[in-house]
Amino acid sequence: MDILIYAVAALTLMALVFGGILGYAAKRFKVDGNPIVEQINELLPQTQCGQCGHPGCKPYAEAIANQTDPINRCPPGGETTIKALADLLGVEALPLDAEAGVDSVRKIAYIREDECIGCTKCIQACPVDAILGAAKQMHTVIIPECTGCDLCVEPCPVDCIDMLPVPVTSQTWHWQKPEQLIATDRHPRVVSQGDIPA
Amino acid sequence: MRKLFDFPGGVHPAQNKQQSNPGKVLELPLPQRLLVPLSQHIGAPAKPVVKVGEQVQKGQLIAQATGFISASVHAPSSGTISAIDAFPVAHASGLEAMCIELQTDGQDTWHQDIGSADANTLDDQQIRQRMQAAGIAGMGGAGFPSSAKLATDKPIHTLLINGVECEPYITADDTLMQVHSADIIAGANLLLRLLDQAKCIIVIEDNKPQAITVMQQAALEHTDIEILVIPTKYPSGGEKQLIENVTGKQVPKGGIPADLGILCQNVATVKAINDAVYLGQPSIERIVTVTGNGVKQPGNYRIRIGTSVDYVLQQCQAETHANPVILGGPMMGFQLPNTQVPLVKTSNCLIVPDPQELPGKDTSMACIRCGQCEVACPAQLLPQQLYWLAKSDAFDKIEQYNLMDCIECGACAYVCPSQIPLVQHYRYAKGMVRQQAAETRQAEHAKLRFESREQRLLDEVNAKEERRKARAAAAAAAQAAKRAENPGAEDPVAAAKARLAEKKAAEASAPPKKAAEVQVPANHKDLKTAAAIVRTKLKKASKAFADAQAAGHDNTDKLQAMVTELEQRSEAAAKALADFESNMGLDPEAEKLAQVTWAKANAQVRKLTKAAPDESASDTEKSEHQTALTAAQATLDQAKAHLDSIKNPSQEAKS
Repeated sequence: MDILIYAVAALTLMALVFGGILGYAAKRFKVDGNPIVEQINELLPQTQCGQCGHPGCKPYAEAIANQTDPINRCPPGGETTIKALADLLGVEALPLDAEAGVDSVRKIAYIREDECIGCTKCIQACPVDAILGAAKQMHTVIIPECTGCDLCVEPCPVDCIDMLPVPVTSQTWHWQKPEQLIATDRHPRVVSQGDIPA
Repeated sequence: MRKLFDFPGGVHPAQNKQQSNPGKVLELPLPQRLLVPLSQHIGAPAKPVVKVGEQVQKGQLIAQATGFISASVHAPSSGTISAIDAFPVAHASGLEAMCIELQTDGQDTWHQDIGSADANTLDDQQIRQRMQAAGIAGMGGAGFPSSAKLATDKPIHTLLINGVECEPYITADDTLMQVHSADIIAGANLLLRLLDQAKCIIVIEDNKPQAITVMQQAALEHTDIEILVIPTKYPSGGEKQLIENVTGKQVPKGGIPADLGILCQNVATVKAINDAVYLGQPSIERIVTVTGNGVKQPGNYRIRIGTSVDYVLQQCQAETHANPVILGGPMMGFQLPNTQVPLVKTSNCLIVPDPQELPGKDTSMACIRCGQCEVACPAQLLPQQLYWLAKSDAFDKIEQYNLMDCIECGACAYVCPSQIPLVQHYRYAKGMVRQQAAETRQAEHAKLRFESREQRLLDEVNAKEERRKARAAAAAAAQAAKRAENPGAEDPVAAAKARLAEKKAAEASAPPKKAAEVQVPANHKDLKTAAAIVRTKLKKASKAFADAQAAGHDNTDKLQAMVTELEQRSEAAAKALADFESNMGLDPEAEKLAQVTWAKANAQVRKLTKAAPDESASDTEKSEHQTALTAAQATLDQAKAHLDSIKNPSQEAKS
């Protein structure tokens, strides 16, 4: 009988001790917030465009983390972002949701300055403070800061904001992927660009 | 004899150097048009300091370096600036870049400030200044501004002068060494003077016997300059490979040769440094090898910076219709998409090959994993692995395989039995890696800005709330102070509440009034007064509202509500007045008219009374006046009666 009591007592004691340790550890090493949200947010392009239906990239990251939204609702990120998210979350990469918008070339807002009436509406709409101006003064876009989110276009009462594709300069240009021709596709010799004898 | 090391990998392509007849510099007639790009180097483009239409002399500064890693640009000949605009430049993309267009006048006169100097009288600082002013950028190919390269604060113990010229076909440096050996030695001595305690090694591949002989003779008297001959192997002229070959040490990843105490300069750069310091001549010309079976007069030509590729090929009678034009060597150069582009400080070779000479690769076969590329790679990378990763766009993984250490020498593609354009794949992958890195940086930046904006907006809301609270507290304090001043006075709020309660109680106890009694016909005058009061109140409130808005007060919505309410009340009062008037048959217009008539008549009577004729006047006059007065009085009475009748229609009805 004694042995039974000892065993139960020992087990109880151990349970209490380990329970205490675990409880302390849970308090001591508590992680605030969901770390996966930060990781998802890192992968999003931070244009804050709201095309996913959330007011910014972080809320969308939270929605993905809570599995309330699919990973394919970010048009600015496009396929690359979807692939990265799929890798991170261990889910299958989906094609871009056309409802959110289409993946297109990166664009930048330009204000046709002589048409601007200085209403400041676009300034209030810009999520990254990339528009400079004051009431009744001409506004302009600080080009390096613009994320091309499109949010300033709609509020403009005189429609003087254009979204133009970012021009390719010799600094940003890079080689394109070589066309892969295999022997069975052999056709009369064509000299294509990048086809440099090496 | 110095012990030579080796570097891993490398290939031995056919040299093809004899065609261009090394050892002789050929001159070309001065072209009529020179197009000088503002960015011929790595780093920030130079800024133009001349205007269109300006007359410039040979060697005159036309664009100033902007920043530390930048090089100035000088007029290659005398003439007139005809344009400063974007023109296609010698770049694989075929993109345009800013250039200064110069129409030469054929005089080719030097600018008056250009003059030789005795280096012995110059101090080190002056030598550096003359080098920097000359706008010299590495002439071996990369185009790194030389003055920036020299300005390292790391101790340099070895100056390596690169005369290797390992790429097939090119003989520009070979020729330069044969023709300008003394200048190169003098330039090397200048650099040695700037680099305290350094020794100089001029490295030449053993396939240039004439250049080696000439250089050895020129260097005979200089004990601190050594001519080192290395075996021919491609790409031994690459900076990192050269260093490993000579010293056995590898430049650390992401590091520069200065980390090992080594400074590398190309022979052409050293010659340019010599010209800049001793002659004061800026970097406005270079030797370019024009070769290939498509060229009838191959050779090494001295060309001005900014000479069009087209012009050079035309002068050399090159057949460019069917053949591609390659800028640079056959291993690392690229096919020019457009030959209407200028040659720059870094252009060392133009090849116009016929189809048999350098057959274009139409097709590549599948990778058979033979591993020859790995053997050939001088950077000890895994070209095959890089190829698979680049092909499948696995850019984060490809970085782990050190893609960025690839020097794009093309040795792997040269040995590939499947003729896979490996370097093109790597260039593409490198571009994508850089682009993605830039996008990540931009995203990070945008996130920061977005977050700080959110924080700012939140702070604004909080500050507003704080101000509101502070105001409320201040008002309460003022109230309390007031009460403290007259402790006898009862609390006005409590009093008002009590009064209201009393009134309510009275209303509740009193019998409900009849509808007819409630609608007591209002007095005309009272209605008018009420309307006027409400109008005044509205005016005051509107003004207060406007003031508050202008002053930027926060809680203007209350004021606005008040204004709206007053507006409604004012309208109601005006309506009540109008209703009353129409009910009672009052016509404000008629009343006004009557009043005016009455006032006129009154004035007439007064006038006549005042203008009464005096005693001396005749009887007729008196009687006339009397008649007029009586008539006026009658009109006045009539008007008065009319006015009264309008004002008080009910009385008229009674009477």
